[in-house]
Formats: sequence, structure tokens, C-alpha cells
Amino acid sequence: MTSPDPTDDNEQGGAREITVPLRLYKAVTVFSTLLAMIGVIVGFILLDSATNRATVALSEVNVPLALAGLAAIVFGGGVYAFATRFQAAGMGNAKDDDDEGSDNG
Amino acid sequence: MSLEKKDEHDHEAWMEEKDLTPVEKTFLVSLMWLDERLRIVDYLELLENLYYKSNLQMPKSHTEQYNLDNKFWYWYPLYSLGFFSTIAYVVAAVSGALLGFYFAPATAGETATAYEQVIYIMTDLNFGYMLRSIHRWSAQVMTAAVFLHMLRVYFTGAYKEPRELNWLIGIVLISLTMVFGYTGYLLPWNQLSFWAGQIGVEMALSIPLIGEWAAQLLFGGFTLGQPTLQRMYILHVFFLPFVVTALIAIHIGIVWMQGIAEPH
Repeated sequence: MTSPDPTDDNEQGGAREITVPLRLYKAVTVFSTLLAMIGVIVGFILLDSATNRATVALSEVNVPLALAGLAAIVFGGGVYAFATRFQAAGMGNAKDDDDEGSDNG
Repeated sequence: MSLEKKDEHDHEAWMEEKDLTPVEKTFLVSLMWLDERLRIVDYLELLENLYYKSNLQMPKSHTEQYNLDNKFWYWYPLYSLGFFSTIAYVVAAVSGALLGFYFAPATAGETATAYEQVIYIMTDLNFGYMLRSIHRWSAQVMTAAVFLHMLRVYFTGAYKEPRELNWLIGIVLISLTMVFGYTGYLLPWNQLSFWAGQIGVEMALSIPLIGEWAAQLLFGGFTLGQPTLQRMYILHVFFLPFVVTALIAIHIGIVWMQGIAEPH
């Protein structure tokens, strides 16, 4: 890459895309998915225990624990979404991938 | 250029030339930290490598050769419908065999015995409600799955040469599946069953030339009664199970010999 712009940004589309080496891309995919899963699962466990599986009255809810649960879920989702900006070389968004022309309509 | 092998973990130099925000840099550094300590990716790569090696001797499939996977993979989940029908059939067979311990195909009594037995299964028998529900639902699911399986085979062109015979067997099987459903529908001998039976008799009678003979054969007469229920029962628990099981075995055996059809 001799491009003066070292990050392959795609700012006009709104979504930022950064090309990383394949091995790093694999690490990003594996570990961000893992973190996201742990975040969401732990978040729901915390929410459940804060509300005793959504059975306690509103006044009985353990608010800090519930907020911690929500935060963990948001963190998990955030990590997952954030990781999508890292791509390996030659990777487009699969949905926009039309390098193969359709020849039968 | 250096002869020294590049260190795959040396991300420092690479990171410098990228214009990363602090958050992105922290994110990547954290994940790299994890990556160096927990070697999950290495083990996954090992598995990936094994997967490719285990397929090395396979010839290129039609799908690969013409690069159809680009779009064709949307269809792949529908390739499980035949197996799904088979599972539904097995579930219906097992639950039906258990129901057979408690059902009696008799119209005798002020309330027909058959209906009484169904009520007994539904209200008194332990797990009876569940058992009959499993039987009914698996029957519904099988009918739906078999129909969708036929659509899949049609729209992917899997019925074409040299698989015409299996397509014909499939047509017989979908018809027999519906006969299975119909005969089972009549067994509770309630109002729904009775009038469905009446429709069946009249449909049989409407056939030109052999109508009366067909009604006699299938329904045991022109009005519904004990012979009708008896015949429906024997069709449902004796005749059809043998015929359909044998045809399914042949159907699957032919798929096994000929292989799954490539998309056309």
C-alpha cells in the first residue's frame, strides 16, 4: 500500500473500515465475539439476580446490580459492533459483495 | 527485505503506520494481549487446516466449479427438510405405537368406544395428553416438511436425470403421507372425523366406473360405521406403516447411492 491515507477509511459510508493483517483479524473476530458473549451472558445473569428472575416488586430491585447487568450487556454489544470495523485485506461487507456477476438473472 | 521470517506477533510496527484512534488502539492491544496468552486462534487454525486437508481428495463439486456458493448457500438449510420429515415420521411411529396400547377402534356404545378411549388418553392417562399431542404435531410437521422438501427438490432441479425414479417415489410418498394423515384423522371418531369420513366416501363414489368398488374397499360400505373405522385403523397402523417405511428406505437408499443432487 503506497496510499498516503494509511487507514482504508470509508468515511462517506459512515462505517469506518480498517484493514488489518489476516492473523490479527482472526484474533479480533475470536476474542471480540468471546468478550461480547461473556458480556451479554454475565449481564443477563446479573439482571436476573438483581430482580430475582423478574419476580420482585419494583421497590425490591437491587438497582446497582441491575445497572451493572445492563452495562455488561451494552458492553458486550458494543465490543461486537466495534469489532466489525476491522477487516482483513480484500474483505468487503459480504452484503455488498458482487464480484461475481449474475449471468442468469 | 529480510530473509528472517516475519514475526506474526510483531504488531507494533504495523500499528504505527495506521491512523488509529485511542479507542481502536486500546481495543487491538487488549485483544492482542489476550491472543498471546490464550492460544484459541492457533487451535482454531489447526482445526481449519484439518478441515481442508480432510477434503483434499474430494473432486470439485458442481457448486464449487461454477462458484455457485456465492448465492446458492441460501438454499442449504432447506436441504435438511428430507431428514426432518424422516425424524417426524420416526417420532410419529414411536408415539403412535404407544398410543396403540390405549386405543380401540370400535364404534360400539352410546358414545363410540374409539372416542371414549381418546377421551381417556387425553384426560386420565398419565402423559396421555402429551403423547397424543406429540403424535398429532409430528404428523402435522411431517406433512408440512414433506411438502417443503418437494418444493426444494423441484426448485433446485434435484429431480432431473438420473433421479427421476426417486422423484416418482417421492410423489407416491407424499400421497401416502396424506393418506396416513387422513386415516389418522378419522380414528377419534368424533364429529370432525365422522364428517371427514362422509366426505371421503362421497369423493370415492364420485370416481367414474370404479367409484362404488373404491368406496367399498376403503370405507367398507357407502355409509360410515364399524367397518369404516376398522379399515381406517388397519390402514393406519398396519398397511401404511409397512408400505411407507419400505418406500422411505428405498427413497433414502437411492439418495445414498446417487448422492445429493448438485444444483442445476
